[in-house]
Amino acid sequence: MQKTKLPAVLTTFIVCFAFWIIITWSFDIQELAGGAVVSLAVALFSARFFIHENAFWFFNPAKFFSLLLYCIVIFPIELIKANVDVAKRCFTGCRNVNPGIVKIPVGLKSEYGQSMLANSITLTPGTITMEVTEEDGQTYYYVHWIDVAAESGEAAGEKIKGTLEKGIRRIFK
Amino acid sequence: MTMIELIGFGIFFICLALCALIRLAKGPTPADRMVAGDAADNLICCAMILFSIYSGRGIYLDIALVGAMLGILDTMLVGRYLEGRL
Amino acid sequence: MAIRIVIDILIAIGAIFALAGTIGILKMPDTYCRMQASTCVATLGTLCTSIGGVLYAAIIMHSASAAVKIAVIALMIILTNPLGAHAIAKGAYRNGIRPEKEMTVDDYGRDMKNE
Repeated sequence: MQKTKLPAVLTTFIVCFAFWIIITWSFDIQELAGGAVVSLAVALFSARFFIHENAFWFFNPAKFFSLLLYCIVIFPIELIKANVDVAKRCFTGCRNVNPGIVKIPVGLKSEYGQSMLANSITLTPGTITMEVTEEDGQTYYYVHWIDVAAESGEAAGEKIKGTLEKGIRRIFK
Repeated sequence: MTMIELIGFGIFFICLALCALIRLAKGPTPADRMVAGDAADNLICCAMILFSIYSGRGIYLDIALVGAMLGILDTMLVGRYLEGRL
Repeated sequence: MAIRIVIDILIAIGAIFALAGTIGILKMPDTYCRMQASTCVATLGTLCTSIGGVLYAAIIMHSASAAVKIAVIALMIILTNPLGAHAIAKGAYRNGIRPEKEMTVDDYGRDMKNE
């Protein structure tokens, strides 16, 4: 269990307060004060579960630009390609599937980067991350794939997450 | 100027959610039922958005928001139960 | 007038992908493939519909709060769907649910036996 640190509390407080403003959408002084008190209590109790590394990386402009590029350009293109592929299989009778579970190596070191890559793989239709393991310092994902085109680890990894991992490596280590 | 086709798309989404409920009724395993319920949840959120912007009432959006936020809880719960670690 | 056509096209694309996902849920041969098809509903089906809704609320209805709320709904569905899919897939495999037809590659089952 980690100790509660001030930057982590501040970041969690900002996120909670922005969410409160979006939900209520009223700028009365009483509602803002109530939201601030509740957000501060939530941030004090739960900040140590959310923030483990440097809390202020988000205010680095180069990383913010890379994140924006990833969220607006790189990821939606992969998403649309995978969606069209799966929709084509569904409309043509659901018989031409070739499912399997492959084990692919991952080169990212940071916790945030690993979880972001796993969620991106799960969010593209056709691939679901099932488990994350670590052997001898190298991280592996078990991925269920609807159409197995390559059985060995590196070739399958290149097909599943090649462009995604290049995009994420600019944001996290 | 209202767009009458919005209500048509909303009814189409509701029909898709009813079709997903067929899989929920006859699915052979618990995971099948849970996946179908999750998909029906998402489809009903879409239909709520369309009904809300058709009729101009904001209350439907609140219902859709709560449905989208609580939809994760039952899925996680059933997943953990199937894994045997609850 | 042109914005109405754009909104109609976006919502129609969302409806097409939602139809594809529902057909996949009903007709795919085993449990894990049905999960893949349900991801299709939750990503482009929801995303295209809510982008159309945001455009309608912001440009035709002139209501900022409705637009922001629709965007938050889409963000919630997009952010929480992978967690549920991950938990259900792992739990189903650990519970012993296997597809009827043998899978081509099964690295996870091979490594679980060795443990």
